[in-house]
Formats: sequence, structure tokens, C-alpha cells
Amino acid sequence: MPQIELSGIRKAFKVYERPAGRWGLLKGAFKREVRSVTALDGVSFSVGEGELVGLIGPNGAGKSTTVKVMSGILTPDAGSCVINGRVPWKARVAHVSEIGVVFGQRSQLWWDVPVSDSFSLLRDIYGIPRERYESRLGGLCGALEVDSLLKTPARQLSLGQRMRCELVAALLHSPKLLFLDEPTIGLDAVSKLALRAFLKDENARSGVTALLTTHDMDDIEALCSRVMVIGRGKLLYDGGLPGLRERYAAYEGQDTDEVIARMYEEEAL
Amino acid sequence: MKRTLRACLSLFRIRAAESLQYRLAALSGAVVSIVWTLIEVTVYIVFYTYAEGRANFSLTLGQVIAYSWVKELLYALLVFNIDDEIRGKIISGDVGVELCRPLDLYWHWFAKSSAGRVGTLTFRSGAVLLAGILIPGQYGMTLPASLPGFLLFLLSVGCAFLLCSAFGALVSAVRLGITWGDGPTYMLILLGHVLSGGYLPLQLWPDFIQTALLYQPFAGMIDIPARLYVGSAAPAEAVPFLLVQIGWSAVFVAVGRLVMSRRLKNVIVQGG
Ligand SMILES: Nc1ncnc2c1ncn2[C@@H]1O[C@H](COP(=O)(O)OP(=O)(O)OP(=O)(O)O)[C@@H](O)[C@H]1O
Ligand SMILES: [Mg+2]
Repeated sequence: MPQIELSGIRKAFKVYERPAGRWGLLKGAFKREVRSVTALDGVSFSVGEGELVGLIGPNGAGKSTTVKVMSGILTPDAGSCVINGRVPWKARVAHVSEIGVVFGQRSQLWWDVPVSDSFSLLRDIYGIPRERYESRLGGLCGALEVDSLLKTPARQLSLGQRMRCELVAALLHSPKLLFLDEPTIGLDAVSKLALRAFLKDENARSGVTALLTTHDMDDIEALCSRVMVIGRGKLLYDGGLPGLRERYAAYEGQDTDEVIARMYEEEAL
Repeated sequence: MKRTLRACLSLFRIRAAESLQYRLAALSGAVVSIVWTLIEVTVYIVFYTYAEGRANFSLTLGQVIAYSWVKELLYALLVFNIDDEIRGKIISGDVGVELCRPLDLYWHWFAKSSAGRVGTLTFRSGAVLLAGILIPGQYGMTLPASLPGFLLFLLSVGCAFLLCSAFGALVSAVRLGITWGDGPTYMLILLGHVLSGGYLPLQLWPDFIQTALLYQPFAGMIDIPARLYVGSAAPAEAVPFLLVQIGWSAVFVAVGRLVMSRRLKNVIVQGG
């Protein structure tokens, strides 16, 4: 049985809008117009253990929403999702103890205290035995080069430094499954390479399954044997990167970004 | 269970360390506290002097003065607008990060918000205590009525801490889904202050409502510990008092959990 199995996942958000026009502000106080925005419109896929999958798509396509559903923090309107044999939003606590999540735009580190304090808090939250924790922390810090940052409060870290610490935080409890929503956002070339090398290595060594969203096609090229393209809440493509090029590239050897742009255009996204 | 407890203690520690940074805010609160107490004590002295022999108060002047100081020490407990951080997290979508932790969200927030009080409690109460000891004569703080009374007072303060945290968590849970303005919160705080003895010791209220006053939830926040300190409740009477505190804490925890689990179903993790 695949580790992740989604079928027909739908999610629409309600958006409240102030009526337009001169008296809109006043009217809005009494009556709001409700509009429904479809974020996911029947998404189905399955991912097996040990796969590295890239999730791409234009802005507002529904990538983050998919990640939220899989992390168990958002309940979809319809469809089923089974991960590690559980329905994420129903068995939230059990589910999240086995996954690691990084939201590129949010921090899971405590702002005002040294990073190492955030890490030891996570040790207690996940109930990691002390020796395992020490060796795991040592390994992660070495690989991601954050040793020298441990005593620094998170607010004093640069974006790239913080992101590397976020990754350590997400991996401390050795999750079987990783969801990374734009993990390379704002990273310099060196950090990006380090992060990719690390993920590849972690995948090879411990067989961790990772699903990451990104706008950087180099991430996909370097890491993922499988790409999924989401557009307007639907899964448009699921397969290898070469297949995607084959279908959309204008000529042999076209730059991947251009291929993707062409595809978005062709699919009228 | 054991893991949850450990995790919550750890959360408590880290949040408390963070809250200890807000020394200045706590100290300025302490100055207000001290001035307020001195005014109050003056009023009591005048009042008791002129009422001499004409009225029969259930507390002596010395007890009322000690009460005023103790009340000010515990004042930092009565902060119920702790939901600001939590509300901010929901609005910004950062609640998503907390939902990704294998922890019951109620206890997660309970630990955090109760720890948030530690900073203010330490500095504010520390400064007030110092002032109470240093201020000479009749105006200053007196020693506790008895040693057993004092030990029970400490125990009761612990219960009051639990009670206030549980109540604060309930208020937060109720506020989670709905946007009411600050009005109801202020009314609730005012009510809490009055009924906890924050303005007038509950024992000075009319006799016919004494029983009702003692068993309502707010009594456990200030009045019960203060009674044990000033000795207007004998140590032998302490058990039912502590039970009132613990009972209400349990009620608030149960209701708070219920409300929170209901509300969480509708929370949308924003942003992405
Ligand atoms: N809380 C919300 N309320 C209303 N609409 C929302 C909410 N969250 C997302 N949406 C809408 O759902 C759609 C999908 O959003 P999502 O965040 O999943 O996009 P995304 O693929 O992650 O985009 P990006 O690449 O820009 O991060 C968008 O149209 C967005 O406007
Ligand atoms: Mg996104």
C-alpha cells in the first residue's frame, strides 16, 4: 500500500467581501457577500515510500493547500486521504508525530530564545530519548552547518540560516515523511546546494519520503524523480521531468523555466 | 500522558524564560500597584479610625492592610487577555505550526499562557513585596498570621495560579472563533476583580451573600489565599477552600477543552 493516498480531495474557501460602491463600507458592516474560492478541485495521487516528489504550479494553484491537507491541519470538503494508514485530520496527533513539516514562510523556532532551546523543546514534545537526540542533532547540525548558530536567538538569524535550522527542527524526530512548502525560498546558492545535497543523502540513507513545493526548477531537477503539476486545483501532470519536457518543450534543450512557463500558458493557467 | 506533561513543562520553561525579558513593563506595573496600595491603606486607616466602636467589621485593620498587600502581590494572576498571542497566531496562520505538533492544543496553549504570567508575576510581585516590607509602621505589610497559615497560603497561591490559567484558557477558547471587541473582555476583567476581592475583601461584604461569594469561582483567585495569609480563615478551615479552587479549575479545564475542540474544527489555517 502506498504511503500517501489522496483521492478526489476538494477544498473551497469562503471569502467574505465588502459590497462595492460608495456605501460599501457601511453596508459591509451589516451584510457581507460570501464568495467561494475553489482551491482544490478533485486532486488524486499516491506516493510510495522513499519517493522524492516535487509539486509545482503557478501562484495560487493549490500547492500549499494540498500540503496543509496532508499535514492534517486543514480538513478538506470532500475526498479521502490516507497517510501511513491514517486520515490526517482525524488522527492529527498520531499523524503529526510521524511527519516533519517545513513551511517556508513560517517559523517553528522560538523567536527570542537560542535555537538550541527550541530544539530541546522539540525533543520533549516528540519524546525523543536523550542519546538518540544528541546523535541526531550532531548529525543534522554537521550536515546543514548550523553548529555555530545554536546559541543565537532565531530573530538574529538570516533567512538562509534560519531555514537550515528549520530543517533541523523538522527532522529531529526522524520522521518517515517530510512535507516541505517552499523550503528553498530566499536561500543563496550555497545554502540551496547544501539543502539539496542533504535531502538527497537523507533520502538515500534513511529512505525518508519527501514531498516539496517549489518555484525553483533547479530544485526539481536536482532532487525529484517525479514531478506533479497542479493548476487551478487540479493535477495536470504526474511523472518524470523528461516526460514533461517532451510534452511541452518547444525545442530540444530549452531552459526548464521556459518549458514550465510555456506549459502554464498552454494550459491557460 | 507522561510525554505530554514533560512537553508542557518544557514549553512552560521556555515561555517563562521569554516572559522574564519584559522586566520594564512589569516594574512599571509594580509602581502603580504600590501607589494604589498606599492610597487604599490610607483610606482603610481613616475609615477604621472614624468607625471605631460604631461598626463591627469582620476583619481587623491590620488584617485589611495585610490583605491589600497580598492582593497586590497576586494581582498579576488576574490577566485574562492572554488570548492575544493565540488570536494573532490564528489570524496569521501560524497556528498551523502548532497544529503540526503531536500535542493536545489545549494543554499546549495552557502551558504557554500560564508561563506567560510568570515574568510579570516574578518582577511585579517581587517589587511589591519589597515595598511592602520596606514601608515602615502601620502602612507596611505584616507577617502572616501563623506558619501553617502561611504554608497553606503558598499552596493556595499555587491553586490560584492553576485556576486563573484555566479560566484564561477558557476565555481564549470562547474568543477563538468570534470577533467581539474588547468591551466584553473589560467587563469580564472588572467582574473578575470585584468578585475576587480585588477591590474590597469579600469578608467585608454583607453577611447574607457571604456563602455565595465564597463558592463562586473568582474567590479562589485572590480572596482565598489572602484569607489564609491574614488569618481571617483558620488553617483548620483550609481544606474546603482549596477544594473550591481545585473544583473550579477542573470545571474550567473541562469546559475550555470542549469549547476549544469545537472551535478548532472550523479554524482555517491561513496563508501559504
Ligand atoms: N485562507 C484562505 N481563504 C481564502 N482563500 C484561500 C485561503 N487560502 C488559500 N486560498 C485560495 O486558494 C487558492 C490556492 O492557494 P494556495 O495557497 O494553495 O496556493 P499555492 O499553490 O501555494 O500558491 P503559491 O505558489 O503562491 O504559494 C488560491 O486561489 C488562494 O487564493
Ligand atoms: Mg504556497
